[in-house]
Amino acid sequence: MIVSLTKKLQLYRKQLHDQNAASRQQAAQHLNSAEHESETDQEIQKAAKQLGAELCRFEDQYVLVHSELLPINLKIGPYLIRDLFPLVNAWQSACEKHPLSAKGLHAEDLLFFDTETTGLGSGTGQMIFLIGMARLTRNGLELSQYLLPGPGHEAAFYDAFLTDCRSLKNLVTFNGKAFDWPRVKTRHQFVRDQVPKLPSFGHFDLLHASRRLWKKRLESVRLQTVENEILSMGRKADVPGKMAPFLYFQFLKHPDADLVKGIMEHNREDVLTLISLYIHLSNKILNRVEADPEEQYEIARWDEQIGDREHAQKLWKELIPKKSPYQSKAKWRLAELYKREGEYLTSLDLFKSALCDSGDDQVPLCIETAKLLEHQFKDYTHALYYTKQALEYFYQRHPNDLDSVRKKEVEYLKRLNRLDQRIGNNS
Amino acid sequence: MIGRKTIDDLLSQLKSDPNVVHWHTIPKKEAHYAPFPQTLDERIKTALINRGVGSLYTHQADAYHAVMDGKDVVLVTPTASGKTLCYNLPVLETMIEHPEKRALYFFPTKALAQDQKNEMAELINTIGVPIKSHTYDGDTAGSIRQKIRQAGQIVMTNPDMLHASILPHHTKWVSLFENLQFVVIDELHTYRGVFGSHVANVIRRLKRICRYYGSSPQFICTSATIANPREHAEALTGRKMFLIDRNGAPSVRKHFLIYNPPVTNKQLNVREDESYAVTILATNFLKNKIQTIVFARSKLKVELLVSQLQKINSGRQDRAAICAYRGGYLPLERRRIEKGLRSGEIIGVVSTNALELGVDIGQLQVCILTGYPGNMASVWQQAGRAGRRQEDAVIIMVASSNPLDQYMAGHADYFFARQPEDVRINPDNIMILMEHIKCSAYELPFQRGELFGGENVDELCEYLTDEDVLHFQRGKWYWMSDGFPANNVNLRSAAQDSFAIVDITDRGHAKVIGEMDRFGAMTMLYEDAIYIHQGIQYHVDDLDLEERKAYVRKVNVNYYTDSDLAVQLDVLEEDKHADFDGGKIEKGYGDVSVRALPTVFKKIRFETYENIGWGKIHLPELEMHTNAAWISFEPALFDVFGKDVFQGALVGLSHLLRHAAPLFVMCDQSDLSVVPKIKAPHNEKPSVFLYDKYPGGIGLSEKLYQELPLLLDKASEMINNCSCESGCPSCIGFVNEGKAAKTALRRLLKER
Repeated sequence: MIVSLTKKLQLYRKQLHDQNAASRQQAAQHLNSAEHESETDQEIQKAAKQLGAELCRFEDQYVLVHSELLPINLKIGPYLIRDLFPLVNAWQSACEKHPLSAKGLHAEDLLFFDTETTGLGSGTGQMIFLIGMARLTRNGLELSQYLLPGPGHEAAFYDAFLTDCRSLKNLVTFNGKAFDWPRVKTRHQFVRDQVPKLPSFGHFDLLHASRRLWKKRLESVRLQTVENEILSMGRKADVPGKMAPFLYFQFLKHPDADLVKGIMEHNREDVLTLISLYIHLSNKILNRVEADPEEQYEIARWDEQIGDREHAQKLWKELIPKKSPYQSKAKWRLAELYKREGEYLTSLDLFKSALCDSGDDQVPLCIETAKLLEHQFKDYTHALYYTKQALEYFYQRHPNDLDSVRKKEVEYLKRLNRLDQRIGNNS
Repeated sequence: MIGRKTIDDLLSQLKSDPNVVHWHTIPKKEAHYAPFPQTLDERIKTALINRGVGSLYTHQADAYHAVMDGKDVVLVTPTASGKTLCYNLPVLETMIEHPEKRALYFFPTKALAQDQKNEMAELINTIGVPIKSHTYDGDTAGSIRQKIRQAGQIVMTNPDMLHASILPHHTKWVSLFENLQFVVIDELHTYRGVFGSHVANVIRRLKRICRYYGSSPQFICTSATIANPREHAEALTGRKMFLIDRNGAPSVRKHFLIYNPPVTNKQLNVREDESYAVTILATNFLKNKIQTIVFARSKLKVELLVSQLQKINSGRQDRAAICAYRGGYLPLERRRIEKGLRSGEIIGVVSTNALELGVDIGQLQVCILTGYPGNMASVWQQAGRAGRRQEDAVIIMVASSNPLDQYMAGHADYFFARQPEDVRINPDNIMILMEHIKCSAYELPFQRGELFGGENVDELCEYLTDEDVLHFQRGKWYWMSDGFPANNVNLRSAAQDSFAIVDITDRGHAKVIGEMDRFGAMTMLYEDAIYIHQGIQYHVDDLDLEERKAYVRKVNVNYYTDSDLAVQLDVLEEDKHADFDGGKIEKGYGDVSVRALPTVFKKIRFETYENIGWGKIHLPELEMHTNAAWISFEPALFDVFGKDVFQGALVGLSHLLRHAAPLFVMCDQSDLSVVPKIKAPHNEKPSVFLYDKYPGGIGLSEKLYQELPLLLDKASEMINNCSCESGCPSCIGFVNEGKAAKTALRRLLKER
């Protein structure tokens, strides 16, 4: 078969090449594969020096570790690193149910964490080639980066990282739950017999939090967008994240420090931004900096979902007197909340008041009001009035869309009929 | 309905029909039983007895013993012979003893896995042991996927899912792969040709991952009747197989009729269209509410038949009682049809071979085959659909006018004595192999010197390193690309990309109504084609090659369209060569380059099948490297017969060979092409090429090269068998100088 395979290879070279083109999303520049291992090792040692990284050996493998200690007075965007201390203090007296809550923790327990991978896919063939993590100490911020010198060194890579991280209970990441962590688990499978077990894992996901607060104002909730638009930070000469795999593939063939320097800087900045972003998000949630109405409204919704009704209620009450697009929405939410607590009169007043604000939600508000009137007050006449009102508003909004109007009518017909009947019964 | 006729009434009516050229009665077969194996758990025995199974058929017991002995097994079983127990019994017995063990079942379709899941669940319930069995495919809810991955003891899936989801994420399936004891491959015979070659490689990848996790599962395969079940199972799994082909299941009496439609044009020897005959025959059964299944070979035929049959009944509900079932429909639509068939709401179904598979629709009373389906395995699989309860079953094969059908109609004894064909795959097809090397490297790095399917693949890995897909370090090749290679490989379609068919009749609400592979799209969805889907005609407004979408619009016209291809052929490399017939004919085999260009399409009127117009097709050429076998004749024959006559003879020979080839290899019509060349580019001789219609070839033409003298013998029989004077669809087709060409070809084949 070997002979015929060689021949076939030549015969089908062009077609195979075309076929292969599909599996590369971007063609990497062709370089001769460096087969001489020792030569490569020497080049990597040279690169390590240029990157200010140490070679940590593990059996016959090694990993490049770059460590630095940053002063706690260092400014990252709008904040200083040391702002973490009072912030974590502030969490101690706040609701512990909040997903970002650091109640019971010290600032030193937080581990800011980010990875770079050879591709965005989630299968077994994609590797993590760079891990960056940072932790606060009394002396300053300890930032470490682990660079995989080649695919055959993963045991060294994970051994060094797992030994150094001590605990992974309080990871702070951007989309780490869905992205970084599953990849760590996947690749750890391959070296699980050689390296420490994966410790239990706990998580503050800043993507989730950012999405809650700023989804509407941002084109896409990516770390860089949040950094630019929310924290008003800018990066000089950044390597775009999607270029990272290609630069790394080239580095594997030609271990030149310049190829990965940019990626390491990118990863370093991502980790630092996480610190600033965690402070910023917490400050908004803890009301340590002013939140605009939209943020306040979303924070309250989040509070309500995690069961902190008291805080949600407080925020909505604050929103109601302020002129903003969230005024009537806040009334609506608050009305729902009172309704659930059995305070129907307050609830009804709020629904009616929200209706007067003439927002976008007149149709569902009318229906909610009608439901309340029907089920709690047995006031069928007014319930009927509001149901008809809902349809009226609907016609006004969709004067030409007969299809939708008909669908709505069918939807409300049952209610209308029932109310008619009840009014009839009562009279 | 008053005076509804019974099946016996209809049978006696058929007895006097002059077009029934052969009546073959297959006697009722009694069952052969074996006692429950001693080692079988009492709970399983009790459960079987409670479900009305008092003892096993002999083949079920044989399978049980062979599997429990640790053998890799292939079972040959006809439709409805209780094959699932053959693998379920040993699997369940093992699970009861060793709950940590795992089994992976794979079925060619999701529908089959779904049926098996339900059957298995019932059995497990009756046994009363908590064995976790579930399907894992595109329809599995996200919320239970993780649970199945970690704790599913029996996982039922399909090769596509294995290929694109399970294997590339094997780290999430550690407990399955560490404890995998059984791999069950159902409907083995469907893994043939390109699809089979892909699946063989998926199995190589599966075995590689099992090795990595320290397991070495047993393979249990089941197959319909084919000539080489053991060889095929061994090619597919790379294991030595133990064959069980002694079937102990009973069957009802079956009447197998061959119906040859009458000649309508004596001069041209043209017969009544077989679809018309099928419509009449099926209508007779359907009108009397006798559940009937009609098989047709192409999607187009299926749609035409449905629209004809639906005319029987005018009521909307009655129309819905007859429907089409074929690939290209969306899953929900198919589920609805399967359910309707089982419940009896649907009384008639017209199907491509999609329903050949053991989909659990129960059996119907009548089965009608529109033409010889191309291979004997399909004949018996399709015929197996008829045979409900204790009543006699009826199978009618309606011959078309193509030479093979006419040969079968004329040689019924040959037909009924005929052995099923060989199933061929070529897992080492370089194009296919290369794709799976990539997928496999993505899953686990390749060690230098490591074998894949028993072969050393260092060279391929080196090539992929040059291509910047793999990276070599410390004796291993690692995947080093940001892509996901499994996404670029579709196991089921020759050209690896499929086209969406978008209905834009309602501009605001465009919707996807089906999909089709590239080759199908270029030959059925060209601009201005009439595409028929569920009996509804659509006009193709636009075929967007880049976006891979065909935009269609509902129309109502009285014609359908059919396309022509112009084919260029070059021999790249001649691997094998031989002369025969004393050097008068030479045959060859090797690599060729084929360039196909769709050129024109014809518009054909429904009722009369006359040509009422044509149009040009504006599409780029499809280029492909593949394997071909060819026969070349002496150029001197041009002078002997005259240029035009000999050219006609050559075209006629291609026509015959195209139809005779399926006698030697089991292949779908779309897998093989036959092209005559007056002057073959490599030897300048008049030649006929038979090539595999898949890049790199799948072993069909290689087999045909070996069989070439015999293939010509069959062609000779076919031409001599036909009584027409100057060529007809049943022999050489309509060619120039028909009369002389036919005489010339007969002489040429006789004088060999």
